Amino acid sequence: MNKNFIISGSGGQGILSIGSILANIFMLSGKFVSLCPCYGAEMRGGAVNCEINMSDREIYCVQNSKADIVVALNQTSFDKFISRVKENGTIIVNSSMAKIEKTRKDIQYIFAPLTQEAQKLGNIKITNSIALGILSKIIGNLNIDIVKEAYEKILKDKKELIQKNIEAYLVGLNYIQEGVV
Amino acid sequence: MTERELLKGNIAIAKASLIAGCECYFGYPITPQTEIGEYLSLEMQKRHLAYVCAESEIGAINMALGASAAGAKVMVSSSSCAVALMQETISYACADELPFVLVNVMRAGPGQGYIYPSQGDYNQATVGGGNGDYHTIVLSPSTVQECADLTYRAFYLSQKYRNPAIILADGLLGQMSESAVIKEYPYEEIDNSDWILNGASDRLSRNIHSLEPSQLKLNEHNVNLKRKYTLIENQEPMYEEYFCEDAEIIITAFGSMARYTKEVVNHYREKGIKLGLFRPITLYPFPYQQLRKLSYSAKLFVDIEMNLGQMLKDVQLSALSNVQTAFIGKPTGDWLKKEEITGVIDNLLKDKNANIR
Amino acid sequence: MQTYAKPKSIKENSSFTFCSGCDHGLAIKLVAQVIDELNIQRDTIAVSSSGCSVFLYDFLDVDCVEAPHGRACAVATGVKRAHRAKGNNKIVFTYQGDGDFASIGLGESIHSALRGENITAICINNTNYGMTGGQLGPTTPMGQITATSPLGRNKEYHGFPIQTVQHIAICEGTCFCARVALYDIKNIYNAKKQIKKAFEYQQKGLGFSFVEILSSCPTNWKLSPIDSHKKIEEELTKIYPLGVYKDIDHE
Repeated sequence: MNKNFIISGSGGQGILSIGSILANIFMLSGKFVSLCPCYGAEMRGGAVNCEINMSDREIYCVQNSKADIVVALNQTSFDKFISRVKENGTIIVNSSMAKIEKTRKDIQYIFAPLTQEAQKLGNIKITNSIALGILSKIIGNLNIDIVKEAYEKILKDKKELIQKNIEAYLVGLNYIQEGVV
Repeated sequence: MTERELLKGNIAIAKASLIAGCECYFGYPITPQTEIGEYLSLEMQKRHLAYVCAESEIGAINMALGASAAGAKVMVSSSSCAVALMQETISYACADELPFVLVNVMRAGPGQGYIYPSQGDYNQATVGGGNGDYHTIVLSPSTVQECADLTYRAFYLSQKYRNPAIILADGLLGQMSESAVIKEYPYEEIDNSDWILNGASDRLSRNIHSLEPSQLKLNEHNVNLKRKYTLIENQEPMYEEYFCEDAEIIITAFGSMARYTKEVVNHYREKGIKLGLFRPITLYPFPYQQLRKLSYSAKLFVDIEMNLGQMLKDVQLSALSNVQTAFIGKPTGDWLKKEEITGVIDNLLKDKNANIR
Repeated sequence: MQTYAKPKSIKENSSFTFCSGCDHGLAIKLVAQVIDELNIQRDTIAVSSSGCSVFLYDFLDVDCVEAPHGRACAVATGVKRAHRAKGNNKIVFTYQGDGDFASIGLGESIHSALRGENITAICINNTNYGMTGGQLGPTTPMGQITATSPLGRNKEYHGFPIQTVQHIAICEGTCFCARVALYDIKNIYNAKKQIKKAFEYQQKGLGFSFVEILSSCPTNWKLSPIDSHKKIEEELTKIYPLGVYKDIDHE
């Protein structure tokens, strides 16, 4: 198996954090993995994105023109990355910060008001973890213990924060019913 | 120490330098290598080692020269246009036979260029921009794991041959993360007690200098250096062969570009076309002999670089006259995609169909 | 009866190769005497530079590394810090000309002072680039004729000279800096006293210490040794006043 993902949004939305958590989840699951962040000029204007590759064999090409799943946490990134979803791929859009609009017929859209969902949980900073939960649901078969371990690796000893993020992750995981998309 | 971690290339280099026993780091910020200096700023202080935020790259490389003369293991990291600033002192260090490790996480040039990844410093590293007959050892990693492993090798070779060693990475490798293991330092420690400057307490005083007003001595010094370089050229070439045994077409590529071309090799092998990849790991010494061996059976070398053909001349020097050489490259930006490369190679195959298949 | 003795830290059988009347030899001898008196010959590492000062290692019997032009303070920083990382306390000093210290190497010099780098810098100021044949340098006074200011230094073409010691004095990391001259016995004694103080401050770990020595260059000034010293006494000390410009022990 060989899949790649683009996670995009703006600075402060925790794009690189969930990118890193996702990459760690794959690594801890015994997969080959690569994580390419944007840097420097690409981040001008506050745009942030990263690409994660996951495979059963060594990964040679770490930056691809198309991705299996794209996560877009705001309008700018939705506009920018919609063209980079593979045919039959999926885009997860934060509809709290982007208009619900389907311009392509060959991909699946998941619109979810992630910021509002995070507000319900009392902290908009965990918007990213809800998105990661939804993404995990689509990928399927991610071991929750490994997810927790990955969060602990990235967030170190901030126990309360880990707790809150896992909670958000689970909200995301259960946001869409199996078979809905 | 043997735990598998998700690491950026830059951080892998920084972590490995500590395990290799780096005692001094001198640096000045420049994208895309800044994480190395940032990471080491705390780690070196924790260990009471030397760390200076230098006033310039010129300052940094000269601090390295001094620290090396004092017998310390030293690392400096920078990028392209700033490495250009260091060329004078690199020439001095080669003349003085002072070891240090210089990391160049390449960005695009010429001049200021931009921070996009590139392989535009192949010539700067292997030919050098300093004056005189000298060489620096150049190691080119292609994965994050190699960023760590070749950092060890750079420290070892620089100490062993008393010569600067360059790790030639690029912006992609510096910034991307992969899972890697920071292993133990695998090489023996080199005794430097017979040349370092630590105060002439029980010996005659020592001078380390490149100025030599005597023609005779200056010639002799150059010849001795050349002898050392010949030894390095015979002993230290490193390379990787990927499906080369029966290959009629050989792709040559180094660093990040080489890993991308493995997809191209797989693509043609699946079609039954005999294509392989030859990847020099040491760019100096370039593995001329090893590549030449492949030209006995191959008909075409396709050199692929993220520049406009710098390693190409070394590939051409390796090729026997029966081998054609072609070049695919671009100076910077997104790495050449499989489709872009196969498009060109498909055309080459059509032209050569008669004698290659 | 007191007889002259060669300092222990001057190499056996070495004779200075400087031009006659040049103060480099005297300056190196004073440094050697200070090294002897402080008993630090075996713990000292010198950093030489480019220009006439490069020959330091031919005469001074201590470990020495040559720096690229202008970079002596950076190289000295590396030597000092590397030894500190190894747990060694070594005495490290640079020996530079004014072109090396205050022109091409001004960045390295000022920043070593700002960092309070615990090294000593000795700068021989002879108001020109001596080794290359006496061209205009950063300290060439207004009006002085040199090989590249044949009509005399003027502000239209060359701008103004630098007051090196004063610039170093305002750096917070500087613990001691002084300007001295060697034109008579009194001044020679004083010069040695200030050089010694600079080294002692380094021993105490107080920061960057610096001594600028106004020196003669009879060959390029086209003056006799005696007239050269007269020029220093009568002209140069007016432009570059002698004295201690910073001493943290007296503040």
